[in-house]
Parts: sequence; structure tokens; C-alpha cells
Amino acid sequence: MKKLIYIIGIIVSGSTWTYSQDSLIINDSEIVGEVASKVASDNSSIVNETFASIRVINNHSIEMIPVRSLEFIVSHKFGDLAGSNGGVATWFGLDNLEDVRIAFEYGLYKNMNIGLGRSKGIGHTTQVVDGYYKYSILQQRTSKMPISLVFVSALSIPYGPASTDSTAPNSYPTFLNRFIFTNQILIARKFSDRISLQMNVGYNHRNYVDYKDQNGLFFAGISGRFRMTKSIGFLFEYIHILDRPSAITYTNHLAVGIELLTGGHAFALTFSNSTGMTENLFIPYTNRNWFEGQFRFGFSINRRFKL
Amino acid sequence: MLKNLLRVLFVIFAVVLVFSFKSGDVPRYSKYLKEEQVNIAELPVEDVLINLGEKPPLHYISKLDKDSARMGEEMIKYGELLDGSNKRISKYFYCTDCHNLQKESPDPANDSPEAVLEYGIENKIPFLPAATFYGMYNKRHWYNGDYAKKYGDLVAPTRDTLHNAIQLCATQCSQGREMTYWEIRCVMHYYKSLEYKIGDLVFTNYEINLLSKAVTNNPSLASEIIRSRFHQINDATFGTSKIPEIEGHVPSMRNGEYIYVYGCLHCHAPEKEITNFDLSMDKLSFKFLEDKLYKYNSFSLSHITRYGTYAISGRKQYMPQYSMENMSDEQLLDLIGYIKFKAHE
Repeated sequence: MKKLIYIIGIIVSGSTWTYSQDSLIINDSEIVGEVASKVASDNSSIVNETFASIRVINNHSIEMIPVRSLEFIVSHKFGDLAGSNGGVATWFGLDNLEDVRIAFEYGLYKNMNIGLGRSKGIGHTTQVVDGYYKYSILQQRTSKMPISLVFVSALSIPYGPASTDSTAPNSYPTFLNRFIFTNQILIARKFSDRISLQMNVGYNHRNYVDYKDQNGLFFAGISGRFRMTKSIGFLFEYIHILDRPSAITYTNHLAVGIELLTGGHAFALTFSNSTGMTENLFIPYTNRNWFEGQFRFGFSINRRFKL
Repeated sequence: MLKNLLRVLFVIFAVVLVFSFKSGDVPRYSKYLKEEQVNIAELPVEDVLINLGEKPPLHYISKLDKDSARMGEEMIKYGELLDGSNKRISKYFYCTDCHNLQKESPDPANDSPEAVLEYGIENKIPFLPAATFYGMYNKRHWYNGDYAKKYGDLVAPTRDTLHNAIQLCATQCSQGREMTYWEIRCVMHYYKSLEYKIGDLVFTNYEINLLSKAVTNNPSLASEIIRSRFHQINDATFGTSKIPEIEGHVPSMRNGEYIYVYGCLHCHAPEKEITNFDLSMDKLSFKFLEDKLYKYNSFSLSHITRYGTYAISGRKQYMPQYSMENMSDEQLLDLIGYIKFKAHE
């Protein structure tokens, strides 16, 4: 080899080649390091896939849309499956569309999502435009960080015509009366490859309500996911209103569902007693009872695009 | 008077003294010292070949511009310049999703899947379906062999022109936009920074002896010997989706694990956000892959490995296949064996 080097030295003698390759930005070892961080032995790696989607069923999950990605969501809820309004006469509720929402949600930053949607609305709250932002505060890790923590703030504005009956909850004397807000904290933990649980606490505020009702409602909930296989999972979600006035007959939102992952699409087939699609509707306005057959089939299709 | 004369003489003497030091020839030993300071192992192979009389390639760069190379590096690693002054080349892939930037084998003349795997395990290098950019500058032909089956006539202009090969990679492989001339120029400078040096090549004693004679007597033979120590073309032979049957082959868990972690998870790990199909080290992933082994679709391991997928409208992210040059049948069996093992562990 020395001889070769000597020979080549002769070839290049007289030239002024003095060349060295400096590290331009990043050492190659850093790229390898990125991959190595994925190995399970890395005890500080982020826990992923607590939930498959950015919603557990109807409420938000701690999952975030990656930055620069846009998620297109179509969600439906049909009429009562059983009970006096269900059965064969309405083909188990499929003839009655309770609510439908079309939304675009976007990963603005790594830790922040925003969303804008429009839904049919329920009851007297119709033609609803909603928006939200969601901020990931903590991310569960395999060590040192046992939970994920996310804050979500949502706003809905029903822009349907105001009632001429001044006692109706949708008479809306001013535009600001239409606003409904929900702020909540989501705390989740993936316990194993199969089991994830999430708790949420929050406050819902409607600017204009029925005279017997109250504007502000505190609520707490629990939801979870059990993965039967990599692509099929069972979901549940329950939200309890903590300070509902006794004169009001509304119930609490309870939903169960099956998720189907196909690689690119996330389908969720759900059954719930609530009729509204967004937290600003299904938290304060659920008034159906599972035990009276007043639960309905719903589904959502999520499709993610890179922008 | 004498005092003044002495002063003038002293000034003249001093001037002569100074200029005599500056204008003298460099002593011979000093010249030899300069030659010895050239780090021969760091000499670019391309320049040596040109000195031996070879015609420079179309993409030849006589002098590396470090600013251009830095910009090329940014585009390759991050898809755009970090100062935001150009548009992302692709929103789906970075070059490093499929290409390494370092040597993949100890001997550039042997980049067989076996050599790459061994070197990769040793050095924790991703096991990727596309050729490394290290030494890409030194090749003469790109998108050879079965690449024509995938890209059709688009490969024709790339086969002898690196500029066109980069453009095809940008628009087809990464499903991005066309690169501008200056962007490709920057990438080319970065490639130059990753070109083979004499020290990268591995010669036998016989070759060194032959080379020593050929350098003075037969330069074309000398350049041929140097060329024989690295690959000139980017070849590809596509396999079939059939699970290989190799009599007596016992799957290596070590190899299988390396391919899974440094190959599959390089893109399919959820945090990479490259693909919609996430995989991890959990049992559900291994069970899923095992259950689909004998299907004829994109979830079947042998199918997806050998055929990959294609970019379609609405889903531009696709998986490039591993050609036989990048993953051997034995290695595919190692991967399948590892997945079966982990599914039942």
C-alpha cells in the first residue's frame, strides 16, 4: 500500500491538491443515532400510538397530527337504533341522520394542532361551525415520564336562524350569545401494547342557556382503548357532568366503538347515546338514554395528507 | 562625510540582506517536504483518474465549494435549506429515508448485501433499499438494470448523467418537484464531498505491483485497476413475491433483528412519520406481519419487500422495493424468521 501511495504521490506531484472533507453540518453518526433511538433498549424513548386517532370516539385523544400534515375527517351519527324511534321502521336509525361533521385539522407545530369543522348540529343548536386548538404539554416516555398531558380548547358557533320565541335557548339576543366553549385537560397513559387509558377534566361554558340550566358545567371523563390485533381495537368513552342542575333532564355521554386501521385510513364504528359530534354539543346536550334504546350508530373516516 | 557614507552603506546592506532572504529559491529538501505533506489517502479518486488521462465525467467538479456542499447537505438531510430560502423538494420523503451518506461496506468493490449487512451491524448503519451517496459521485451509470421496469423510459437520460439521475430521484422517487440548476449543483458539490478517496479503495499486493508498473508504462491499465476497486453502476435486479426456499438455510436472528430495526423501522417507526403504516417492537406488529406472510398483497412481507408499492394519486408515499442487490434471499428469510420468532416469543 505504501508503494501505491508513493506511486500516486508521483502522479499528483506538482499539483496543489490539499483536500480535506470537513464536517459540513452534522456527523453521520447522528443519523445513525436517530435510528438507534428507536430501539426498544433506549430507555427514554417516546411512547407512541397511545391511541390510533386524534379522537378516542367523539372526544379528543392525546394523539397529535404531525406538523405539516392535514387530516380530513368525516363523521356521522344516525338516529336511535332501538326504542320508539328506532327498529326496522327507521332501519335501525340509518334513515335519520342526527349529526354530520366535516372537518380539516392541521399539525401547525410539533406540539400544536388546530382544527376547523362544520356540523349539522343537534336540537336547537344547528348549523355549527367549530374550531379548536390543542397543545401537547407532556409526552409519555418509557422512563421518567409516565403520562401524556394535552390541553384542548374548543369553540362552537351555531349560526342557524335565531328563534323568535324570546324564551327559547336559541333566541340569541346577541351574536356572542351563540358561543359555546370547552376547555379540557387530557391525561393518558399507554399501559401496554394493548391497553391505553385516558382521563379528562374540563369546563364547558354556553353563553346562552335555558332558564333552568346553568351556563358553566364542570365535567370529568374516562376513555380507553383495547387493541385486539394491530389493526382492530375496542374503544370506550364516558363523560360525566359534575354539577348539572337537578331540574335538567340531560344525561351523560357514553360511547363504545371499534377501530379499524388500514394504513392511511382510520375507521371508527361507534355506538353512543349522544347525538352531537363535537365536545361543545355532546357534553352539555346529551339527553338520550342507553337503557331506552336511544343509542345510535356512528362512524368517522380520517384521512391524513402531507402538505 | 564618512559617517553618512557608512549610514548609506548600512541601509543598502540591510536592504540587500532582506531581499536576498525573500528572493532565493526554495531549497530542495523543503520542496520534498511539501509533497510529503499531501495526504495521499485523502486524494479524490476522480482526480487521480483524470491525471492518468481519463476524460472527466459530465458532472466533474474541479474544486469543492464548501458553501454549495453545505446547502446540498441541507437539502439532502432536510429537504430544503434551513434558512427557508427555497421550497421543499418533497413533502413526502427526505433523501436520507432511502439513502445512507456513509460507506456501507469496508471494500467499495464488494457492496454485496452480505458485506453491507455485516458492516452495518458493526457500525449501526441503516439497512436501506437505495444506494449510499458515499461514492455516488464516482459512478458512471445510474438507474441500471430493472429500474427500467419501474420507471420505464424515464431512466434512459439518467443512465449516463448524474444530473438527470438526481432530477429523476427528486421528481419520481421522492415524489417531489423538479430541482433547479443551482440546487442540483449544490447537491453535486455535496456528492463531491462524499466521493471516494484513494484510502477508501482496497488493493491486493498483486494489484499494487501491477499498478506501480502501469502508472508509468500504461496509464489506461492503471486507471482500469483503480476503477476495478469500486462499482461504476447502480444496478438493480427485482425479485418476486414468492417466499424464497433455500435448502438448509437456518434463519439468523441477529441478521433478522438488524434488518427489522435498521431497515423496516427506519421508515415505519411511528415517530419517523414517513409512512401511514406504523410498526414497532411490540408483539402486535410481529403478529400482524406473521399473519399476512402468505397473502399476496402489500402487507405480505416478501411481497412488499420485493415489489414495494407505487405512488398513486391521493397517496404519494410509497415504499421502494429492496432489489436483490440490496437484500439477499437469505436475508429476507432471516427477517421472516425473526418476525416469526418475535410473534411467538
